[in-house]
Amino acid sequence: MSLTLLLEKYDVSTEEGLQKALLEIEKEEVEVDEALAGVLSRACTLEGRLRTASQAYTKLGEVKTDAQVAADMVDRTAELARDVSAKVRQLDLARSRVAECQRRVHDLIDLQLCSAGVEAAIKAHDYETGAAHVARYLSMEPGSLQAARARGAPDPRHTMERAAATLGEHLVRKFEEAAKKEDEAAVERLFRLFPQIGRADDGVDLLAKYLLTQVEGAVRRACVVAGGAGAGAAGAGAGAEAAVFADALTRVLEAGAAAAERARRVPPPAAGRLPRALRLLQPAVCAGARRVFAAQRAARLDNAANATGAGALAAEPVLAELALSLSRVRLYFDFLRRKTEADASTLDEAGKQASAEAIEKIIAECELTRIAQDMLAHYLQLERYFLEESVSKALKMATPQAGSTTSSLVDDVFFIARKVIRRGVSTGSVDGACAVLNEAGALLERLPAAALRRWLRASVCSVCECAACSVSVCRRGVSPGSVDAACAVLNEAGALLERLPAAALRRWLRAPPDALPLPPPAAAPALAPAPRLTKELDAQRALFLAHLNEAEAGGEWAERLASEAVAEAGALCRGERDAAKLASCAAGLGAAAAAFRAAHDLGLAGLRAALRPRLLAWADALADPGDLAEDIEEDTDADALPAALDVLAESARAQLSPQTADAVLLGALSDLAARAERRLLHHTYSREAGLVVERRARRLAGWAGGAAPAARERCARLAQAAALLALERLQHAHHALQPAARLAPADARILARR
Amino acid sequence: MEDYKFLFKVVLVGNAGVGKTCLVRRFTQGLFPPGQGATIGVDFMIKTVEVDGEKVKLQIWDTAGQERFRSITQSYYRSAHALILVYDISCQPTFDCLPDWLREIEEYANNKVLRILVGNKTDREDREIPRHIGEDFAQRHGMYFLETSAKEAENVERLFMEIAVELMEQAKCKELPKYDGSLGPINGKTTSVGDTSCCLRS
Repeated sequence: MSLTLLLEKYDVSTEEGLQKALLEIEKEEVEVDEALAGVLSRACTLEGRLRTASQAYTKLGEVKTDAQVAADMVDRTAELARDVSAKVRQLDLARSRVAECQRRVHDLIDLQLCSAGVEAAIKAHDYETGAAHVARYLSMEPGSLQAARARGAPDPRHTMERAAATLGEHLVRKFEEAAKKEDEAAVERLFRLFPQIGRADDGVDLLAKYLLTQVEGAVRRACVVAGGAGAGAAGAGAGAEAAVFADALTRVLEAGAAAAERARRVPPPAAGRLPRALRLLQPAVCAGARRVFAAQRAARLDNAANATGAGALAAEPVLAELALSLSRVRLYFDFLRRKTEADASTLDEAGKQASAEAIEKIIAECELTRIAQDMLAHYLQLERYFLEESVSKALKMATPQAGSTTSSLVDDVFFIARKVIRRGVSTGSVDGACAVLNEAGALLERLPAAALRRWLRASVCSVCECAACSVSVCRRGVSPGSVDAACAVLNEAGALLERLPAAALRRWLRAPPDALPLPPPAAAPALAPAPRLTKELDAQRALFLAHLNEAEAGGEWAERLASEAVAEAGALCRGERDAAKLASCAAGLGAAAAAFRAAHDLGLAGLRAALRPRLLAWADALADPGDLAEDIEEDTDADALPAALDVLAESARAQLSPQTADAVLLGALSDLAARAERRLLHHTYSREAGLVVERRARRLAGWAGGAAPAARERCARLAQAAALLALERLQHAHHALQPAARLAPADARILARR
Repeated sequence: MEDYKFLFKVVLVGNAGVGKTCLVRRFTQGLFPPGQGATIGVDFMIKTVEVDGEKVKLQIWDTAGQERFRSITQSYYRSAHALILVYDISCQPTFDCLPDWLREIEEYANNKVLRILVGNKTDREDREIPRHIGEDFAQRHGMYFLETSAKEAENVERLFMEIAVELMEQAKCKELPKYDGSLGPINGKTTSVGDTSCCLRS
């Protein structure tokens, strides 16, 4: 406590105050003394510590020196390590050089050995060993040999090359000897050695030459057989059935294919050399094919072209033979392509590509391709002739005649077209198939069109013929699977229909009277029994129905044949372009089907028109309120119409296809119901009359429900309309319209008023 | 399905080497392929063009000129809407063969087919057939005439476009109904099928 504070705290003017201050001062003095004593006692500890610190500092200096020394040592060690690794690298280099030197020395030693070995092997006729030596020589690094020469030593390769050449000559000579002796085993053994001595191409050439002699022999034999058989066939008559020329060609191609297969068995180092062998072999095959084809032309084609009298029958075996020959040529080319691909399978992409291009070039440039094209030309000419003949024959046979019940036109033409198209597809040539399809479409449309026009003028049924014609023509167009053919045919069919004078067409639209029997209503004497049918009319009626059926069947066939042709020819397509040709034909199918349906509808419309007068009479009878049929049994009256319809349905089902019959019945009932409804609106009805009409309508609806389900709805509407007539009270109208109102409310109101 | 209203088939015929394939490829692909090999059989290309705002698909059949393919090429005449008969203006024999080609066309093609005579290779210096000779020939035989150069792309586009326009006009004329309404079903169906010179897609 400071003096000032003390003076303030205590009153020093008094004794007591002074005493207290003194006490305070004394107390503080004691405290200060104690504090000083404490401090003094700690001073020695501090001194000790300071000593320790100074000692430690000295030690640290020593450590620093040591550390410096250690760092210097590490640096030196690293430097040393670097030196060492550099030395190791040098050593490595030196070692590899030594190894190379050793190899070269070995090579040189081997080279000497090889040269000697080859000579020895030649002497010992051990060509395998010799070839192995040469293979060893060829695998040597060129550097060894150059290095040896660089040192001034005589070029060791000369000896070796001489030896290899000698070996090669020996091999060639031996090969030729073996080939002359036809020693297959030796030929094969020697052939395998050529790739080893680096002369694979020479080996392939030699083998090809050897195979060539064999192929030539085989081809000669095949041609001789063909010649003999051809002469024999000519002697025996033009109708020789056996396809001797196709067989001969097959044998020629088989010989070529066998040679190609043998040439393909080249050891792996020589892979991809098949095209080289084929280039040598192919001319022999071509020559054989040329001879066979020339003989075939002389024996068959020229005759067939001239022998028009013989007709389509004579052309058929020749066509089959040509198609067979063409398909054989295609098979042969496919075989070559496949084998070349297999041969090049071990090569890289570029090698494969080159190989494929080489074989395509051989195929494109070889004479066999041109022969096949010539053959195709002949085939197509003959096929056209065959088609023309066959179709005119079918037309002649299908000429409508009174008394005949069906025409075989669609059947025949369908059969011919299918045969021709299948044969065209079997040639294996897309162009050929397309051309046949075109021909089938174009040629057939011309003949039937002209013939049908003639028929159309001659017969009331001609419009049906027209339908049948367009159907058959469309079918033809569709079946070829060629868009051109299909469209051309459709166009022709369309044009044919258009060209017919309108008036004549309208006349023809009429079906013959009584095409389908529908007894006239007993209560309509005005329309009673139709004139007695003459025999001729009867026949016409039958023809009409037959053609209607044919129109439908032809359409189904059209679609079937079309899909068949597309599927069959689809296998021939080898590219997008070919597929596009087929696709364009597929696009024509829809239009063809429409044309067919138009023809069929035309026939149906004719039929419906023929039935209409009777149906109208029946409708009038049904709705007639005046005739209460008092003297007739009520049931008999109501059942008369269903009975008549039964006759119609039975007859339609018996003579038409189910679909057509249903369509006819539906049409008939629609006509009937529509007319009857109109008549209902004309008359007024008493309750009794209403009941009678209602019963008739109900029976009709019941009949429709059983016999013509498609028309049930239409008849149910009529029945409801009649039910309204039979109502006792208007309030019950909603009962009559149960379960579902089929009449429009306005119509119902009008009816109910009557 | 592609969107087009008309499909026309155009067939090119003429001697080997007159440039049929080059014309087709110039038109369809815009290329002039040098060293073009001989066509084998029949080739087929498609190009859709627009005429008066309507899409017209031209199906172009490029035939081989060589004699041995005649049987194949003849089969395509019948369905053609237009036939382009091509000769080489620098090669007299190709012009001399035209009557033979016309005979073939008469025999195999539809008589209403649109026929166009084309003298190709106008880029060549060594012209042998003057233009008026070709024109006279075309006029005598009722054909359209055009000289083209597939190499220089001269008149090629025009050739095919004019064909498209002409065929479309023909097709439209024939599209009009020819009968009165009483023959509804026939009329309706046959026009949708097409007529002698076009396939209509409705």
